[in-house]
Amino acid sequence: MRKKVIFSLYKKEMLDILRDKKTILMMIVIPLILYPLIFAGSMFLASSMLKASTSKSYMIGFENLADEQAMVDAFNRFKDEHDYSFIYYRPESGKDDEEEQLKQGNIDAYLIESVSDNKPYYEIAYLASETDSQTASGMIKDILQDIQKDATKEKIKELGLEPEAVLKPIDYTYRDLSSKEENAGYVVGMIVPFLLITSILMGALYPAIDATAGEKERGTLETLLTLPVKNLELIVAKFMATSTVAVGAAFLNLISMALMGFYMVSAGNMGSSSGIDLASFIPALIVTLLCVFTFAMFASAVCLSACIFARSFKEAQNFTTPVMLVFMVGGMAGMLPQLSLDPVTAMIPVVNIAMLITEIFKFHFELSQIAVVLLSNLAYTAVAVVIMGRLFSSENILFGDATVSLRLLENRSHMKEKQIPGMGDLVLVFAALIIIVLFGGGLLVLRFGLWGLVAEQLLIFAVTAAYAWYIKTDMKVVFHLHRPRITAMIAGILAWAGMYLLVQLLANLVVGLFPDLSQENAQVLTSLWEDSPMWLMVLSSALMPAVCEEFAFRGFMLGSFEFKFKPAVAVILTGLFFAAFHMSLLQFITIAPLGILLSYIVWKERSIFITMLLHFLNNLTSLLLEQYQEELTKKLPFLEGELDVTGVLIFLFAGVVLLGAGLLLMHAKKKESVAA
Amino acid sequence: MRIEARALCKSFTRLVNDKDKKSRKEEFFAVDHVDIDAHEGEILGVLGPNGAGKTTLLRMLGNLLEPGEGFVHIIDDKGERITDPIRIKSCIGYLSGNTRLYGRLSAREMMRTISEIYGMDEESAAARIDQIVEVLKMQDFVDNRIERLSTGQTQRANIARCLVHSPGIYIFDEPTLGLDILSSESIVNFMKSEKDAGRTVLYSTHYMEEAQYLCDRVIMMYKGRIIANASPDELMEQTKTDNLRETFRAIIDSGAKSAESEGEDA
Repeated sequence: MRKKVIFSLYKKEMLDILRDKKTILMMIVIPLILYPLIFAGSMFLASSMLKASTSKSYMIGFENLADEQAMVDAFNRFKDEHDYSFIYYRPESGKDDEEEQLKQGNIDAYLIESVSDNKPYYEIAYLASETDSQTASGMIKDILQDIQKDATKEKIKELGLEPEAVLKPIDYTYRDLSSKEENAGYVVGMIVPFLLITSILMGALYPAIDATAGEKERGTLETLLTLPVKNLELIVAKFMATSTVAVGAAFLNLISMALMGFYMVSAGNMGSSSGIDLASFIPALIVTLLCVFTFAMFASAVCLSACIFARSFKEAQNFTTPVMLVFMVGGMAGMLPQLSLDPVTAMIPVVNIAMLITEIFKFHFELSQIAVVLLSNLAYTAVAVVIMGRLFSSENILFGDATVSLRLLENRSHMKEKQIPGMGDLVLVFAALIIIVLFGGGLLVLRFGLWGLVAEQLLIFAVTAAYAWYIKTDMKVVFHLHRPRITAMIAGILAWAGMYLLVQLLANLVVGLFPDLSQENAQVLTSLWEDSPMWLMVLSSALMPAVCEEFAFRGFMLGSFEFKFKPAVAVILTGLFFAAFHMSLLQFITIAPLGILLSYIVWKERSIFITMLLHFLNNLTSLLLEQYQEELTKKLPFLEGELDVTGVLIFLFAGVVLLGAGLLLMHAKKKESVAA
Repeated sequence: MRIEARALCKSFTRLVNDKDKKSRKEEFFAVDHVDIDAHEGEILGVLGPNGAGKTTLLRMLGNLLEPGEGFVHIIDDKGERITDPIRIKSCIGYLSGNTRLYGRLSAREMMRTISEIYGMDEESAAARIDQIVEVLKMQDFVDNRIERLSTGQTQRANIARCLVHSPGIYIFDEPTLGLDILSSESIVNFMKSEKDAGRTVLYSTHYMEEAQYLCDRVIMMYKGRIIANASPDELMEQTKTDNLRETFRAIIDSGAKSAESEGEDA
């Protein structure tokens, strides 16, 4: 990397960015004007609402009261303590029609008296759907409490006792030992991280899009590439420019926030917080500034990586939307009481910055944590920049039509036949599938039992198939719909059987190491299986998953990955995603090897029907083992309990031999046919 | 300075169906083992139908794309062979319909940035820029933002961009596409004058009259390969045609035929 080149590129980027009115608007106008406006607006709104609710007179009525005048007197006696104001409704006809009046909105609430257990019993009638009615009912409750307290005291006095001593035999109060600074810091620490993180993101987003997708769209990228510049130099310059704007935006946001803070303190609007020693916040502010710098770099790197694949501004905006959501959710981490900054959370991007700022404003300084947070952010940034330097040189991104695209957004009639889904399509489909499994599936299973499972699998199939149809996917290629070879079938069964044994061993090992894992969701399914006919169990737990999940994973996912990655990467990724899809850690560990094997077989044989069969056999075996566990352990007692060393060795040996034999058979046959 | 490229290949993957109906990825050569020699004081035209691989070839020659196979070297006036991609780029001025300019910068700012990237010192850069402005008659608009310039002015600014580092070799990919007569004339004249000054010019176009008038030699590409390589006059003689447009058609037709028969043989 040549510093001079990077610097001149950086100067060019900055000039380009700063001459863009949109950036300036994002950077300066929003923080400097919007925040005060929001603050002032919300304060005005709150105070005017408070005023309106207390200064307003509410119309209340009384129904069926033994002594209405006495109640009105009591209301008048206590209402001033609360600053309440009432107008009492008296029906003209003398007959109680309060219910009618309340429903028509002429009165806000009313009191009904009855007798219960030989004492007066009151009901407050109101409309929960009306704000005024709610407020009025609350006011009536307050007054009734006063009346109740008063009556209690009278009773106690009648008994010849001291009311205060009887009602409050003990007394208590709070003593807040935190300083005013700590109190203020707590509040600031809750709000600042979120605002800072969003403002940095907003600052980084636009220049990042402009510097990547913008260049592509305006056609200046090719010009840039005619210059003797290395890709990494280009990325570093773009990264520096984006970071500068992000830091600038954050800085202006910080200043704007600080000014608001000073204003509120000096105006005394925060009441108890007046007299705060602002100087005590200086260390916190310094650390916050460091956070701003590192996080601006991190955010710039993330935004640039998200946009680098985009061909146009619009596409870049699509790609950055998930980034924005993640950042905003992460930014709220500081507000969650359950989370605390520990060695693990200190490594989670976004969350760590939010929590560090929160902690710092609570005056919890721990140098090691600050260091971990800042350094991990720097490390992520460095990795992202280096990866981008490599990606940027990849010509597909620059000149070819990128395989990352969301074809759903295109008009179907414009699409060519025989498409291969891109990464964008894949992400969308699998996001939909995860939603189906997480929400739809759970609800369906709760409502319809095993039929819900069937419906869930059908949905998985339908969503994948519909999307594939819409984007005119080359079905035969992507879904590997070729007729299977018989030998490959047999080879596949052998390999699967071997892998099944090995996976059982692995499961035993994992459960032995982490006993907590086995208690996961297994119970749900077994409870569903109770009292169900056998055929339904097989249909819902073996046949449907075999067809539908294979279609989605070994079909759509593997088929798309094959065109994007090297075969090994495509196979392993598919296996891992397939395992992750089961959403349980134990299952992830055990399913991943199976998933990889199945993906390998499909890649090798181009036929999804083989793995549909294997998937079916696999689930069926698990189902039968689960169902007939008792009988099985009776007949084969060695299955019960822990495996001893010989057992493990036998399992291991049998597994490896079967797996090896299966794979060899699959390969041997293939070679022969090629030779012939 | 001359350019020497040997066995240049660039392949992309696409889908094909086998005879046994199994679809698979197949490598498809956009440029298929092409040799190029372009000499000092020569305008070499690269002709061919759409999709023949002209742009891919020129991008590889300009080092915008990395060759899949083969190499591009530059041999400078002292006979030294330059192989480093960054140094090769420093010898080339590259202009195509896709090389657009930064709209928010002025032509002068752009040229200054480029001179910095080429590592020129400030004084000589300023002198060079003034010289370019005078030659291309850009005095009126050199300090305006490029987005406010007319098409012809923008085109001159784009030429100015290629001149900053005084390259020995020019690569122009359809530089006159979509321009009016006056604007394209300025480019044609520019290429002619640079050739006369002893520079090497590589140039692709669809305008046969222009190529016939300008080029000392043309290569014709079809499906990634070179199917003809001679001066326009020689080619016209070979095909017994009297203008390059018909020559082009004749050569492409025979190229298509030979490609077909080749396919049958295989």
